[in-house]
Amino acid sequence: MKKSIQIGLFLLPAILLILIFVYSFAGWSAWASFMSWEGLGGFGHFVGLKNYIDLFTQDFAFQKGLVNTLILSGAFIGITIPLGLINAILLDLGIKGKKFFRLIFLIPLSFSFVVSATMWVWMFAPKTGTINNLLRLLNLGFLTQPWLTSSSQSMLGLIIIYIWQFSGFATLVYYAGISSVKQDILEAAKVDGASLLQKYLRIIIPLQKTPTFTILFLLLMYSLRVFDLVWLTTGGGPGYSSEILATYMWRVSFNRNLFADGAAIGFVMFVLSALIAIPFVVKMRGSA
Amino acid sequence: MRRFSRFGRVIIYILLLALSVFYLLPIYSLLNTSLKPESELAKAPIKPVNNPTLSAYKKAFARIKGNLWNSVVMTASATALSSLLGCMAGYIFAKYKFTGSSIIFFVIIVGFYIAPQSILIPLVKFIGSLGLYNSIFGLILTHTAYGIPITTLLFYNYIKPIPESLIEIAQIDGASVLQIFTRIIIPLSLPGFAVVGIFQFTNIWNEFLFGLTLTSGAGSQPVTVAVANLKGTTVAAWNVHMAGATISIIPVLLIYIFFLRLVIKGLLLGSVKE
Repeated sequence: MKKSIQIGLFLLPAILLILIFVYSFAGWSAWASFMSWEGLGGFGHFVGLKNYIDLFTQDFAFQKGLVNTLILSGAFIGITIPLGLINAILLDLGIKGKKFFRLIFLIPLSFSFVVSATMWVWMFAPKTGTINNLLRLLNLGFLTQPWLTSSSQSMLGLIIIYIWQFSGFATLVYYAGISSVKQDILEAAKVDGASLLQKYLRIIIPLQKTPTFTILFLLLMYSLRVFDLVWLTTGGGPGYSSEILATYMWRVSFNRNLFADGAAIGFVMFVLSALIAIPFVVKMRGSA
Repeated sequence: MRRFSRFGRVIIYILLLALSVFYLLPIYSLLNTSLKPESELAKAPIKPVNNPTLSAYKKAFARIKGNLWNSVVMTASATALSSLLGCMAGYIFAKYKFTGSSIIFFVIIVGFYIAPQSILIPLVKFIGSLGLYNSIFGLILTHTAYGIPITTLLFYNYIKPIPESLIEIAQIDGASVLQIFTRIIIPLSLPGFAVVGIFQFTNIWNEFLFGLTLTSGAGSQPVTVAVANLKGTTVAAWNVHMAGATISIIPVLLIYIFFLRLVIKGLLLGSVKE
């Protein structure tokens, strides 16, 4: 058999599955988002950008979902990145029990979002929850909060949950980044009399650009797509106070069965993921 | 730690302690509540359980054991299939250059970064048209397909360093693409299979969105969906919900505890440039 045919056969299953499950489906979503929706009658006629115009000009919940997605990403990534760096530096200091603390920092990564959601709903429960209970026990009862049940705090609760869930990933990538700093650079600094603080501030942290970039892009990707962590904690509520694109897409598509609008939200998310992914993949491949 | 003053050491351990409380308090809450009898549930959740009992675990297990089995079958099958297909594709991209190969590679890899919501409606329709809605086979097919971008990337990174000379010698001996794959690539990438297998297993086991969207009855639901459904409306059911949640993460937790090195390797290979 010709070599090119053999190569083709090796790639065929992967290419076929990706063409169907990723690109034809995304294309279908794009097509569906330009059609009217007739309920049980299915898709009607071509309406151009109408579904998108409605989403962006009239659909309050969609706009809220878009803004919340940005707020959630910005806030949780903005905290997770420095926290991951601090965790990684703590592990790098050569403390006793390093392996133990490393496991503690990474264990939330192993938790499915379903289990995390279960735990955190219980943590945040206003009357029976662990956090408010702990505050009362410490005579700090005046600090108790309604947490996820209040529309002014639901986003704050989600940000805390996301930090808990994802900071292990940032820790891991930074830890690898710090470990890969060349020993001879550190030796040279030592000879020059650099203090420990200077070693981290002047040498190690400035060398963490690639890890930071990696963490930023992967967490952006997650904050766009993660659904369960919100769906099973606040459910996007109270009201639409913590609705994000991922939950609103599901609500519109599978609770209300509005497939044209659902497809349009899905396609907005496709464009957003492409905007996040393409520079990342190009940079990763380009310098490999 | 000799490098630090006493003051420095105290600061470091206070930080470590505070972080550990943040990471472990929810887990403590989970385990503590799961071991409580109903009579203790209404009391302070932070208080350690007085009379630990496994009764919530028994109740939860009875309700989710079918779903645990579904998850085992689904995860094992989709992990094996996506790893094999990813290994085949990664091998070709790592070792054969042809016109358009880097573009095809790029097109496959980008699939990993696409939010699943953008393909969710056609996915449900497609799986339905195959007669696989509400079936474990629909989930296996779905997880296999969406696993391919990352398994291809992971195996590409793994196979790339295998010396070209090994392959050239085999080619001179007249070995086909398939023979090189089975005699050289697979034996040399067995550690890669461990890393990719663990990466895929943990992801697929924990997945919820496809499980929720592609099934409707308890019969075919994976364990993540079943655990979410354990949520009761009364406080009384919380210990059962927590017990079910704990049972559902045991496989992944064991992998993290015993194969942390491989887990880390998978997460890094999938994200960090080699």
